[in-house]
Amino acid sequence: MSEPLLSLSNVTKEFGSVRAVDGVNLDIAENEFFALLGASGSGKTTLLRMLAGFETPTSGEVRLDGRDISHVSPNHRPVNLMFQSYALFPHMSVARNIAYGLEMERLPRSEINARVDEILEMIQLSDLAGRKPDQLSGGQRQRVALARALVKRPRLLLLDEPLGALDKKLRGAMQLELKRIQDQFGITFIVVTHDQEEALVMADRVAILKDGGLLQCGTPREIYEHPQSRFAADFIGLMNFMPATVADGALLARDGSRIVAPLPDDAHNGDRMIAAVRPERLHLGEGTHENRLHGRLIAKAYHGLDLQLHLETGLSQEPILVRLTASEAEGQTLETGTAITLGWTARDTRVFNA
Amino acid sequence: MKSAPLPLMLLILGLTYAFLYVPISVLVALSFNESGLPTAWTGFSVKWYGELARNGDILKAAGNTLIVALASTVVATTLGTLLAVGVEIRRRKGRFLETIIFAPMIIPDIVLAIALLSFFSLLNVTMGLHTIIVSHVVFNLAFVCAVVRARLKTFDWSVVEASQDLGASTLTTLRRVVLPVLSPAVVAGALLAFTLSVDEFIIAFFTAGAGRDSITLPMQIFAMIRFGVTPEINALSTIVMGLSVLMLTLSQRLNRGRLPGQ
Repeated sequence: MSEPLLSLSNVTKEFGSVRAVDGVNLDIAENEFFALLGASGSGKTTLLRMLAGFETPTSGEVRLDGRDISHVSPNHRPVNLMFQSYALFPHMSVARNIAYGLEMERLPRSEINARVDEILEMIQLSDLAGRKPDQLSGGQRQRVALARALVKRPRLLLLDEPLGALDKKLRGAMQLELKRIQDQFGITFIVVTHDQEEALVMADRVAILKDGGLLQCGTPREIYEHPQSRFAADFIGLMNFMPATVADGALLARDGSRIVAPLPDDAHNGDRMIAAVRPERLHLGEGTHENRLHGRLIAKAYHGLDLQLHLETGLSQEPILVRLTASEAEGQTLETGTAITLGWTARDTRVFNA
Repeated sequence: MKSAPLPLMLLILGLTYAFLYVPISVLVALSFNESGLPTAWTGFSVKWYGELARNGDILKAAGNTLIVALASTVVATTLGTLLAVGVEIRRRKGRFLETIIFAPMIIPDIVLAIALLSFFSLLNVTMGLHTIIVSHVVFNLAFVCAVVRARLKTFDWSVVEASQDLGASTLTTLRRVVLPVLSPAVVAGALLAFTLSVDEFIIAFFTAGAGRDSITLPMQIFAMIRFGVTPEINALSTIVMGLSVLMLTLSQRLNRGRLPGQ
């Protein structure tokens, strides 16, 4: 990676005795769509507010284009934030809201008008330029908030739970819309979200935060396919966990069956581990897979694209979850209560320390 | 619970309103009575309003009242608004602050009046219009603060951060975002303060000092009434009442029907 646009080194933020953000190191490249993913209390919002300038790090450095901006106030950094509540000015029209940031730059009126018109057109709200925020729908308000931040052409645009206030259907459409806009403007986006699906769909890279620290950072595929911790594996998508102990280069499950899996180099016989496999990596039948499980079908749910099965097995206390594609499930008589055999490969198995 | 039959409810409603408004209506009607006598209606006339305009004492008192009301409103609105914003920001530090701010609204006027009189005497302040103005600021401050705070309860503070984020300084944010959003409440508070000041009697009476120079309109009416209710007083009261109703209506409308303290 060439010189990163944004570089965090050892950024820590303490509120009293609480460490909200704990030594985060992170480089974000120009033009990247980056997602900070975490549950509430993970420190993602505090981290975002430090990037926007509303909080100053207790220690560490935030560099933008190589310049330390840790102590630069929000109104003096080329960074804009789209607020979770949108924070539109209720007494100003759509056009005035969008023009506000440009007026602060003391640009000539003609340029302000041109840029406001241009972006209104882009977000397809030209007709509503004279409306007040309380006369807009949730989706329209969201677009105005986005336009108000984008029109300043910041080096970095921060989005705090940008789709949180929208209903589910609109959210799906807006995920793609945000990606398109980011592409079109060529501005670096950092999105804060607690929604793992949102992060996977939109972002080029995702960072998982937990207890103020950075747990893992990578492309959505890396994060999904190669989670580095049990927490990450559990947080992103669905995962089956099976406690096991190391025995002669493989794992011995609770019920005594052998699980072949890529073990960490420092694994010794008797070490307690957790083997994990994604529900869609389990396949019906004996097959040629290295690993096999036998279970009793206790529930099934049809989801259109796939068929989800719950299996009672000796491998874990929780039922094992299986997702069969529609074509896999085709022609199979899967009666609840019957015994089923499934297989999966060693390659699809992940191993975590217990 | 079974509710009372409709005709009975309407009757009670009617009697209540009659009790409230008949005396006021009589006063207004009499102010237009040609004869000036409360016992006989001799025809519609505005001559008592004309008499008012020729009465030097009343004009002087009306002038004083305007000065007191305007000055105390301007000071109380400025301080009250800033106070409301400050208290709201510090709200999490405890509710004690809120209680003592509203005390002047709750303390009986007569107590406040005596307290202020003692205070001014203690400081050896020569009393006059200026002491009435200061005294009116004391209670108006509480009312303005209450009205503005009602608005602040629904204020979305993230717009302040949004303004900063878009490049505005603190002062620009105050001028272009905070004040415009609060302005209906500020104006409503000012109108309320003005109204309260115009017809305030007890506190003005106690803090006006000895001379005739600082007599306000309510004090003037009180002085006149000792010789009986004259038609001029009816006319004057009608004008004061009309003004008060107008101001209060405006104030309520601007603040979307919210009462102070709500």
